[in-house]
Amino acid sequence: MSLKEVYNIWAPFGSRWIDWVRPVPFVSINPSYVIREWIDDTIPTICYMRDYCKDMAIIIDLPAVNSIKEGIALTAFGYRPIPIFNGTNPMPNTKATTNNLLIGPLLIWGASKLHDLSLKADANPVFLLDKNRLQRYKIDPSVFDNSWDVYSQDLPSAEYFLQHGIHKILVRSDYVERDLGKILYQFQKRNIQILFTNGYEEAKKIKIKKIREK
Amino acid sequence: MKLVSIPHDQFARYRVDAIFDCYKWDPQFLDDGTLAQHVLVITEEEYEELVRLTEALDFETREAEMFLNHHLDLAKVLALPKKISHELKKMSNYDPNRHVRLMRYDFHPTIEGKWAVSEVNSDVPGGFAEASLLPKLAIQYLAPNQYVSIDFGERLSGAIAKKIKPHGTIMFVHCTSYSDDRQVMQYIGDKMDSLGFRAIYGAADHLRFQNQEAFSILDGYQGKVDFIFRFTPLEWLKDIKPKTWEGYFDTITPSCNHPISIFAQTKRFPLIWNELAKHHIKLDTWRELLPHTTRVEDARGKSDYIYKPAFGRVGEKISIPDACGKEEYQAILKAVRKHSKDYVAQKRFISKPFETPEGEKFHVCLGSYTIDGKHAGFYARISKKARIDSSAQDIPVVIERNS
Repeated sequence: MSLKEVYNIWAPFGSRWIDWVRPVPFVSINPSYVIREWIDDTIPTICYMRDYCKDMAIIIDLPAVNSIKEGIALTAFGYRPIPIFNGTNPMPNTKATTNNLLIGPLLIWGASKLHDLSLKADANPVFLLDKNRLQRYKIDPSVFDNSWDVYSQDLPSAEYFLQHGIHKILVRSDYVERDLGKILYQFQKRNIQILFTNGYEEAKKIKIKKIREK
Repeated sequence: MKLVSIPHDQFARYRVDAIFDCYKWDPQFLDDGTLAQHVLVITEEEYEELVRLTEALDFETREAEMFLNHHLDLAKVLALPKKISHELKKMSNYDPNRHVRLMRYDFHPTIEGKWAVSEVNSDVPGGFAEASLLPKLAIQYLAPNQYVSIDFGERLSGAIAKKIKPHGTIMFVHCTSYSDDRQVMQYIGDKMDSLGFRAIYGAADHLRFQNQEAFSILDGYQGKVDFIFRFTPLEWLKDIKPKTWEGYFDTITPSCNHPISIFAQTKRFPLIWNELAKHHIKLDTWRELLPHTTRVEDARGKSDYIYKPAFGRVGEKISIPDACGKEEYQAILKAVRKHSKDYVAQKRFISKPFETPEGEKFHVCLGSYTIDGKHAGFYARISKKARIDSSAQDIPVVIERNS
């Protein structure tokens, strides 16, 4: 599978929401990569929801590997996974704050799963984030800082969500990170309901507090 | 000048080609695609005129910055950030022959049928792959024999290669957390790799300076650096702690751009022109093309002036009433009142919109590059609003053959 083919499976022409698929991890995949390394390809069981919810989008904010796998799991309910990973890779053999090495292989694995599915063109999105994006600790100044934040421009606007029938956003994480919270606060102001689950409990409505700039 | 369309049924494939073959890693911004469905076509006559005007502007800019570098007392009018001002005297050893000087001048067609230049991107202009690979890709989707394009990347890589020893190491200094910075660096880095040089990618604080020479401390790539390509703006560099950045100002390691770029980067640059004229530094082309620019205080009550931040980027925080929301407009005016020295007032020009074959109208900002005084290519953006900002779209520029 060429890199363009992998990308086109995650972002098939003519489907809604696919314009937000971030190309960065796809262009970083080693073109000669084939799935031969050991990948734990078990697909997790989703126990925090039972059905497709037609007015709800989901944001999964877990370590990238788990995020991709959970995104694939949610295809069983009819959701379309939209990876929005945006971290770059360091030079070979350079210590970096964030390890993106498994994202490419998992995206290829995910493409092989998505290839066999026929999701609806207007299927609601599951945006996939990498929780490790915020690892900023540098043990010394020589480390390459490839941490990153998610910004409002990386997601559709509240208006776009509402125009397309999305009135609720479910966040699946262990807690709402600061960068994501800033975006969700703006959605909440425009009357989009924010729900939260830690993956084990049913989704609950939460209120996002205004996050002040440092 | 005209806008032609990428065939509608081929745009999705064009977009993917742009992502994978043209380093377009940021094709979406909020609800808007950042890649235009059109191509900007200029005539050979327009091309020649733009080359002439761009090189004239560049000659004047470089004359001015060389003069200011040796007359720093005059530069106080520019109100540069204090941390940067303190380092300027280190630049007395600046030798333009040692470094690569890259700039991009933003041209706008006006309803009078003339050009207006809104600013020069003097410090860290971007858009490299969009100015090199994207036009070639677009021509494949149009009529290949009808158009030609300029390969900016060839000219930039060639200019760098002249200033560095064979197989030398180039550090591409950028904000490593931003993939949209990396895409710019990666394109030109790959070009340099293909010419036999060694490209390494790091942050501004991965360079340290000894005896005015640059050394990399990047993990796994420690050692002497033969060329610095800086994409971190100077006004961000100054905030790095601990302070390891002052060496950029007096380094003898060749660089692009050297901090000499700061004089023209501030939008307050025109405020010093009358003083420069007293010293026989002529800026006639600038005066012809740049709308009247003055201190905020001098424009109070004049409705035909807009406010621009002295160190604004990608068109942000410019007070064009019909191009920004009411809330944003009021916030800008408040900031101008509070920090007037951080802004300038500029007489508004009326941009001429161009119509696509489908009947949509777009405003155009045509960036024209120079490298060491010579014209080097184009990078353009279009927008339905008169302000070309983050929501604008990148559009390839091609030249239509006369015959």
